[in-house]
Amino acid sequence: MIIEALYPELCNLYGEAMNAEYLHRTVQDCELVKTSLKMRPAFLDKDVDFIYLGSMTETGQELAIPALREHYQRILELIDTGTVFLVTGNAMELFGTYIENEDGTQIKALGLFDLHSKRQMMRRYSSIYLGTFDTIDIVGFKSQFAHIYENSEPPVPALFETRRGAGRAPGQKEEGARINNFFATSVLGPLLILNPPFTRYILSLLGVHSYTLPYEQEILTAYNARLSEFKDPKTGVEY
Amino acid sequence: MRLRYIAALWIGKSIRTVMRLFGRNATFLPGRIAVAICPSFLSLIGKPPRVIAITGTNGKTTVANLVVNSLEALGISVLNNSYGSNTATGISCALFAGSTWTGKPKKDVAVLEVDERSAMHIFPHINAELIVVTNLFRDSIMRNAHPAYIAGILDANIPANTKLLLNADDLITCRIAPSNPRAYFGLRQMDGDVKECINLINDFQICPKCNSELIYDYRRYHHIGRAHCSSCDFKSPDYNYSGQINPTDSTALTVSDSGSSQSIKLPGDSVFNIYNTLTAYAALCEFGIRSDEAANALSKAELPKTRYNEVEAGGVRVIMHMGKERNALANSRAFDYVASRPEEKELILMMNGLGEAKVWSENICWLYDCDFEFLNKDNITRVVSTGARALDYSARLRFAGLPPEKLRYSKDELKAPNELILKPGTSVYIFYGTDSIDLAYRVRDAVCKKAGEINKP
Repeated sequence: MIIEALYPELCNLYGEAMNAEYLHRTVQDCELVKTSLKMRPAFLDKDVDFIYLGSMTETGQELAIPALREHYQRILELIDTGTVFLVTGNAMELFGTYIENEDGTQIKALGLFDLHSKRQMMRRYSSIYLGTFDTIDIVGFKSQFAHIYENSEPPVPALFETRRGAGRAPGQKEEGARINNFFATSVLGPLLILNPPFTRYILSLLGVHSYTLPYEQEILTAYNARLSEFKDPKTGVEY
Repeated sequence: MRLRYIAALWIGKSIRTVMRLFGRNATFLPGRIAVAICPSFLSLIGKPPRVIAITGTNGKTTVANLVVNSLEALGISVLNNSYGSNTATGISCALFAGSTWTGKPKKDVAVLEVDERSAMHIFPHINAELIVVTNLFRDSIMRNAHPAYIAGILDANIPANTKLLLNADDLITCRIAPSNPRAYFGLRQMDGDVKECINLINDFQICPKCNSELIYDYRRYHHIGRAHCSSCDFKSPDYNYSGQINPTDSTALTVSDSGSSQSIKLPGDSVFNIYNTLTAYAALCEFGIRSDEAANALSKAELPKTRYNEVEAGGVRVIMHMGKERNALANSRAFDYVASRPEEKELILMMNGLGEAKVWSENICWLYDCDFEFLNKDNITRVVSTGARALDYSARLRFAGLPPEKLRYSKDELKAPNELILKPGTSVYIFYGTDSIDLAYRVRDAVCKKAGEINKP
C-alpha cells in the first residue's frame, strides 16, 4: 500500500503530520511518500491508495493551490476511481471555489466543491468539535481564521453532521465535504489518532482488514474520555 | 477624550491604591477598567522618556528580568511589568504604578515585556526606542495560530522608525519590519548543532523569495540556525552581536561586537538561557550601557525560581522545570534539555491548562507537534501523566515509543508522587505550565515528603 502526504514542508501544523504516520504504522508493508512542493507527486505515476493534505499557513495555501491545480485532472480521475483522500483543517479551503480576504479580494481555489471561505484574520475561531460520521462519533478541534459557505444549491454533501461546535460555519449542522472517498473537513489535528473508530472505517475502505491499531488501548481510552467530556453539556464549546 | 483619560487615570489609580491596601498585586484590574473607560489610555498616559519593549514567543520574561536587574544593578531606576500581565491592561497597570496622579512618569526608563499577539494594542502607543524580538515559534494553536501570523502582526504594528534587535538565527524573526533600523544577535556554531531537523516542528523550510529548498549550514533546533537558499541569494543575516560558548568553560559566553569582546558568566546551561543572556546583553548595549558594565551586571544575574528550581530530599534531586501549557516548542526544548542530563530520572507531566479545564476541553493537537520522542531514553525510568489531559499524555508517550511498563497515570496531580520509585541518587523532573506554578510547588513538596519517607537515613 502507498500513502502520499502532500507538501510536508507547508502542511505540518497542529500535529497533523501524524495522521499519515499513524496509518503508516498500522498497515504492514506500507510505503509513506512525502511529496514536496517542487517534486512530482507519486499519484501521477503510481497506484497511491491514500492521499493526505493538512493545515498550512495562509501563504502556504497560496502556494499549494497552483501546485495542485497543475494536477487537478488527475485528482478528479482518482476521485472518480475511489482513491481515498483525507484533507484536514484549512486545506479544505483549497478545494472550494475561492478564498475571500477581509478586503474583499479573492484567491481562486480549485473548485472541487461549490463552497467558498471567508478569512477574518483578527477573529480566530476555536472550539471543540463533536459530530457524527454515519454511526461513528467524531471528536476533534477547530481553530481557524475562515468559515466556509455554500455558493448555491444543490447542497454540497457534508462529511460530518455537527452536534456541538460549528459546522462549515457557526450554526450549521453540515461540516466538511465529501465526494466518493474524498473526505474534507475543517476539523484539524491528529484526527485519525483522536478517532480510532473513524480510522478503522478508513482502513476498511483501503481494504485493510488484518491489523491492530498501534497503542490501541491508550488511544481508545483517551477517545472515550474525550467523547464523554464533549457530550457533557457542562463542557464549553468555544475557546 | 481628555476628560475620559483623566477619569480613567484617577479611577484606575484609586482602584490600584485600594487593592494594594488589601494586599493585592493590582496588576490587571485597574488597567482593564482604565482601558474600558478610555480606550486610548495607553496612548495618553505619560511614559518614561526611554522605553525598551521585549517581545517574542519564548524567553521574553527572562530577558526582561535580566535587563531590568542589570539596569538596577547599574543604579538605574526602572519601571517594568514583571509582576503583571504583558497585555495592554498589564502594561497600563505598570504605567499607573510608575506615574503621578497627574499621569506624569516617575521614572526615566521603562522595560516592558509585551505579548506578541497584543502588539497592535501596545506598540503604536508606547514610543519604544528599541523593540527586542527574542524568537517566533509556534505557541497556542487557538491564540497564535502559527509564527508567520504573529510575524505579520508585528510587521503591521511596529512603528516605522523604531530600532529592532532581532535574533539572526531565527529566519522568521529576522525578517520582521524589513525597513526598520536593526541590529542582529546570534550564537555561532556549537557542539551538538546538526544540519537536518530532528524536531517535529520545522517552520522555515523554503526560501521566502523563490520557494526553493533552504540549506541549513547548521541548525540548533527547529528552524533556529543559519541557512541559505539552494537557488537564490537569500541567506541568514550577519551578527552584530556574535555569541560563542567558551570551549574550555561551558558556563561562560563570549560576545563580540564591532568594538569589544566580553565574557559573561551564564545563569544556566540550557541553550535557551544562553540565548536569553545574549539577547539581554545586546539589548543593554543597544540601550547605551557600556559593554563591560553590561557583561559584569549580567554575570551576577539569576534565573527566576518559578521557571526552574532544584531541591533535594531523601537523596533525590527534585527539579521543577517549566514547560508551558499549549506550547509544543517550549516543552520540546524542556524535554530535550532534561533528556540530555546523564542521570537516571523520573518525570511528572502536568502541563495542563488549568483555566481551560474549568470551562472547556483543552485542544491537545499541540502534543503531536511536541517532541515527546526525546523522552524515550533508557535513563528515563518512569513517566507519570497527571491532570485533566493525563490520558492524552499517555497516548502520546506510547506514540513516542515509551513502553507501557514505564508509564503511570494519576488523575489527581497531588497523588502523582505516589507513582514514583524515588531511588536515592536519581532525579525527579516536574514539567508544568504558567497556569500551574502554585500546584507544581505543592506537587514538588509532596515528592520531597515521599522521598524523605522512603529513604529515611
